[in-house]
Amino acid sequence: MAFHLDRLDRRRFLRGSGAALALPLLGSAPPVVAADAGGPDAPKRLACIYFPDGVPMPLREDPAFEDWSWFPHGAGTEFRFTKCTDVFEPLRNDLTVLSGFSHPEARKVHGHRNADQFLTAARIRREGAYENSISLDQLYAEHVGDATRFSSLVMSTDGGTGTPRNAQTISFNRAGRAIPAERSPKRLFDMLFVKSDADAARRLAISESALDDLLEDAHDLRRRLSVEDRGRLDEYLDSVREAERRVQKAKRWVDAPPPAAGRPPVDQDLSPDSPREYVRAMLEMIYLAFKTDSTRVATYQIGRENGAGVSDRLARAVGFNLAHQLTHDTKRPGGWKNLGIYCRFLNEEFARFATRLKETPEPSGAGSMLDNSLLLFGSASSAFHLSRNYPLVLAGGRNLGFKHGRYLNYSGADSIRGAWDGGPEPYSRAITNDDQPLTRVFVTMLRQLGVDTDRFAGATGDFPELLS
Amino acid sequence: MFPTRFRVRRCACARGVARRSKSVKHFRVSGEGRLGVGPIALLALCLVTPGLAGAQDGGREGDSADETVAAASDRDPGQYETAIKPLLERACFDCHSGEYAEGNFRADELDADLVDGGDAAWWLEVYAVLSKGEMPPPESSDLTGAERVRIVDWLSAEIQAAEQLRKGRGDRSSFRRLTRYEYNHALQDLFGVPWTFVGDLPEEASAEDGFENDAESLRMSVKQVEAYRRLAAEALRRVTVRGERPPLKRWTAPMEQAVRKAGPDQAPADRSHYLDLATGARTKMDWRYVGAKYAFAPDDVPASAAESSLPEPGSHVAVVYPGDRRAALTVELGDELPEEGTLRVRVRASRAEDAGERLPSLRLDFGFQATNEGASLERASDRILSIDAAHGRSKVYQWDVPLGELRHRNAYRGETRLGDQPSPSEFLRFTNATRERGGAGSDSPAILIDLVEVTAPVYDEWPPHSHRAVFPESARADDETAHARAVLESFMTRAWRRPPAARDVDRKLRLFERLRPGCDDFQQAIVEVLATVLSSPKFLYVLAGESGAPEEQRGDRLSQHELATRLSLFLWCSLPDDELLDLAAAGRLDDPEMLRREVDRMLADPRADRFAEQFVQQWLKLRPLEYLRPADDGLDEALLDAIKQEPAALFGEMLRHDASVLEFLDADYTVVNERLAEHYGLPNVRGDRFRRVPLPAGTPRGGLLTQAGPLTMNSDGTDSHPVKRGVWLLTSLLNDPPPPPPPAVPEIDLSDPKIAELTLKERIEDHRNQAACLSCHQKIDPWGIAFEHYDATGRRRELIDGEPIDAASRLPSADRLDGMEGLKRYLIENRDDQFVRATVENMAAFALGRRLGFGDRAGVTEVAQRVRDSGDGLRTMVTSLVTSELFRSR
Repeated sequence: MAFHLDRLDRRRFLRGSGAALALPLLGSAPPVVAADAGGPDAPKRLACIYFPDGVPMPLREDPAFEDWSWFPHGAGTEFRFTKCTDVFEPLRNDLTVLSGFSHPEARKVHGHRNADQFLTAARIRREGAYENSISLDQLYAEHVGDATRFSSLVMSTDGGTGTPRNAQTISFNRAGRAIPAERSPKRLFDMLFVKSDADAARRLAISESALDDLLEDAHDLRRRLSVEDRGRLDEYLDSVREAERRVQKAKRWVDAPPPAAGRPPVDQDLSPDSPREYVRAMLEMIYLAFKTDSTRVATYQIGRENGAGVSDRLARAVGFNLAHQLTHDTKRPGGWKNLGIYCRFLNEEFARFATRLKETPEPSGAGSMLDNSLLLFGSASSAFHLSRNYPLVLAGGRNLGFKHGRYLNYSGADSIRGAWDGGPEPYSRAITNDDQPLTRVFVTMLRQLGVDTDRFAGATGDFPELLS
Repeated sequence: MFPTRFRVRRCACARGVARRSKSVKHFRVSGEGRLGVGPIALLALCLVTPGLAGAQDGGREGDSADETVAAASDRDPGQYETAIKPLLERACFDCHSGEYAEGNFRADELDADLVDGGDAAWWLEVYAVLSKGEMPPPESSDLTGAERVRIVDWLSAEIQAAEQLRKGRGDRSSFRRLTRYEYNHALQDLFGVPWTFVGDLPEEASAEDGFENDAESLRMSVKQVEAYRRLAAEALRRVTVRGERPPLKRWTAPMEQAVRKAGPDQAPADRSHYLDLATGARTKMDWRYVGAKYAFAPDDVPASAAESSLPEPGSHVAVVYPGDRRAALTVELGDELPEEGTLRVRVRASRAEDAGERLPSLRLDFGFQATNEGASLERASDRILSIDAAHGRSKVYQWDVPLGELRHRNAYRGETRLGDQPSPSEFLRFTNATRERGGAGSDSPAILIDLVEVTAPVYDEWPPHSHRAVFPESARADDETAHARAVLESFMTRAWRRPPAARDVDRKLRLFERLRPGCDDFQQAIVEVLATVLSSPKFLYVLAGESGAPEEQRGDRLSQHELATRLSLFLWCSLPDDELLDLAAAGRLDDPEMLRREVDRMLADPRADRFAEQFVQQWLKLRPLEYLRPADDGLDEALLDAIKQEPAALFGEMLRHDASVLEFLDADYTVVNERLAEHYGLPNVRGDRFRRVPLPAGTPRGGLLTQAGPLTMNSDGTDSHPVKRGVWLLTSLLNDPPPPPPPAVPEIDLSDPKIAELTLKERIEDHRNQAACLSCHQKIDPWGIAFEHYDATGRRRELIDGEPIDAASRLPSADRLDGMEGLKRYLIENRDDQFVRATVENMAAFALGRRLGFGDRAGVTEVAQRVRDSGDGLRTMVTSLVTSELFRSR
């Protein structure tokens, strides 16, 4: 089925992003009720925000090293942001900068192809059959998705799914299929706060009748069974009854009016042609969805890898033409600074989003919304198209046990740096020092979000150093 | 020396870590485990008295019950306390009593009542170790031979009596839901299309020691209920159609056109190229995605064109050499391929002029490239074609690819224009998959292609067969309700395997009427209703006790319909067809002769391949092979494919010829394809098809033990793993699994230079000498060491690190195993009864869809005896099982 991205209608969007598909159908309590809940029940939220192409990693002897490196200088609590990252300074005690993490199965993958596995840690070969696996956000959505109207929001600037190895979404369902991302802030707003969903109501009515019928079939069969066999069939009966309960809950979502979110923050639909306003509006959608407890899980892929999409034009926000070209131009004079200025723009919008959450008291009364929201911000490339040493910021989630104000550097002093000026690209270099597996951070994130697990994508181990 | 990777601790835990706790014992007893087989072989010999066997043959259950009651009443309940327990106390309690009992086994707590007590499974273990002489340890025991005999005699009488008494008790149930693979096959057979319908239905979490269809382990959850509803609706939407037949498109790609797209570069003779037949000029056969410049445009053609003859050969051919991407022929088709329907691919091809004996293989892939990185390539068909046409006598080869089965399609279709970036185009790729051999032979493996023709969407008829399986022509009616009733009656009869009761149809009709107003049309509403037919427990669950006709059935005999269902689940992994249902309805499945005929008919059907695949994979626990990655594990893809298929291929061959099941242990032939033959060093096997190859005397192959699959699976990736191999042999083939390893197994310290110098065998012996390990490993290791002539991927070897291999070992029974040859000889000469019985047990557990219990022992004995008496044939085993009381009872 072709995705007509510009015409990506709401129903398809819902089917795709909703949740993993179960979307508006499965809910437990209307948002108003949730908002009234007490402190210990404050919602736990997760947002993962991805940007492509990597970050400035000038050589130590490069004059740009001091000012325009993405990673801070120093370590632990004693570190200083650069001009690229100084916008994080006001949030210093609400975030942790991570260095020296990556996905072991992806360390030799070229940076043009590494967004697909950023949240999945899957092993994806360069050619041949493509198999991905469930992403971090969808794993959490499976756990918490039925508590809200939408089980998750999946967004990207380029929209849709893209293709294998060039995803335009960072969310993948349990079967490893790409979940199409929405790219229009207006459609997101309408979905969240304007339209009621007639189609969902119709499908719920069908489900309700069908489940009734299955229950009757089961009772009918049960009458003919021996006692022991009845026990076995009761498992089916219980499951159908549980499915009925879920439909009843979901009906309450459909029947309830959408939550009020005030005036739309955008009057007409913004496109990446107004880059700064566009990125800001997309992040605002996550903020509004979180604030109204319409969902607790969101992903936003700011751009696909290797340019070639509308997201490449976001560089116009800071006076450049194409974002991906900036990474290649780091070999030219002033190149590090230019890439640094672009990354600073992304950092600034992320910081703005985090600050919005920080300044909003948690509706349930426990701290700020940021304290109950875990934000992962980063890229799967560091130095030129190198899928190691991901640049990562973990922000918020203080009420979930996270400790901040630190720069955790596990990359050591000899991480790969510098521009690429012909010859073999950095990604093909031998791996000399192993990064920490990022899956360990994912496991700790999931656990603090309340998912009882000791592994992600088959890899065990967690990272308790992140916790207070 | 051996790779330092070897850890005996891991090996000991080959079957997973089990806690040493009460729960282990509880598990074994409550499920009554799989029958420990060690003792059973003996039982088969000494316990089947003529009187009992006769009673079972005649099916005179009443009589045999009387006899057993009489036998049971002879039992002296006091005998245990007075005569047996004191012996056990002296011989066993030292180690096996109290809280810290050895092996988690407490002899002091055994309930001596084998009929009503909960320790029958433990008693079988006791019987086994005593009669085999494994326990008590000879060096530390003063149990005399006569005393041992006294315990064994008492126990065998008790077991025999308990078997008979427990047989008649209705404490077994085969009521279960369909497994994932049965559900898939059932839908395939219902709709008549070989598509995949299971989507994201979770894999069965089967118990490690059971079959996937084990009734007890098949659970149901709300997620599954929701998935069944969704999958059924999806399946119904896929197999049904709407409106007029979609127009057919045809892409014709003669190579003289392809060469014009390819540009002017000349190619060397040893690379794939386009060849101008008139001039001999060779043009480079490249393909690039950018701009869709290589795309062929389709023509609109009438529906009959899918069968029409191809145009005359033209001036060029593509000479395709083995190899991937660059060597393959890519035929780009643009962005107009439909979503559903069949993609028919016809290729006119031949072998090269200087071809040798080998037949080259042609593989079909489907893919697209939208951007530099955004690309997908997947197998369009599992069928790899052997190109057998001689040079100058091209033949047309054909694939039919269901488009809906492709996993990835280009998401830019309809998004960007053909020629723009990202490219919305898609392509087919023809890869010469012939394996290249070292050494520059003069024989060319090239495939010559002069024309590729693609048509889509092909429907052999309209509406297609699958649609008519749901909406039969006869069901047409002007009145929607009457139409719905007719569709429902027809569909429910087939899906639920019997004519539905009137109230069932009425209920579904009421559902239809409730749903109809909310649906766009009749078809949408009826599909929703049919989806509930397929997610109803009356479809998903099988072998429910049928109280419909209790009078005409005695006790726990299956009804005719149930028998039909069990039979088709056993041999087709699916639901019964019309013939079986008709026979059941006519009450003719009672007749053993009719059952035999049905078995023959069913085994001759292609659906019986599922039996070979599923039973063999589960019996031999081959699942781990699915997790191997060709590149990482020293296997190429063709070899990995071949080693996965080999066990079922051997099974199928033996089934066809009713070969003796002892040929699983050793045979003078093997069933291989070319790739596997090469792995085994067997000459003159050509092509990907598996076939029987006679083995010259002295060839170290034949049977399951020397197949690459089990050998690879029971290795550690770099080298053989004797402990895993021993455990596998005992567990899968002999049904005599060793106990799980205790928790605190000392790790072998490889930093100890003394240890590091030992050979593997010495290391294992050293490990075994530690008291904690001895009792288990002396039962496991000798078996595994006999496999040492086979490396990590099952190749034969004579030396390890330049040293000759010592593959000789001694069993606890003091029998000597001298390498693989000795092992095979020993098994055939000394363990034939045990192996036949174990195979019957495994096949019966699979056929019944439940674990065997104590009450099944007599039934198993009967089947095993019949198989032994009639020459051990595999097909005989299937027939004997199907016609046995065991199979025909609940």
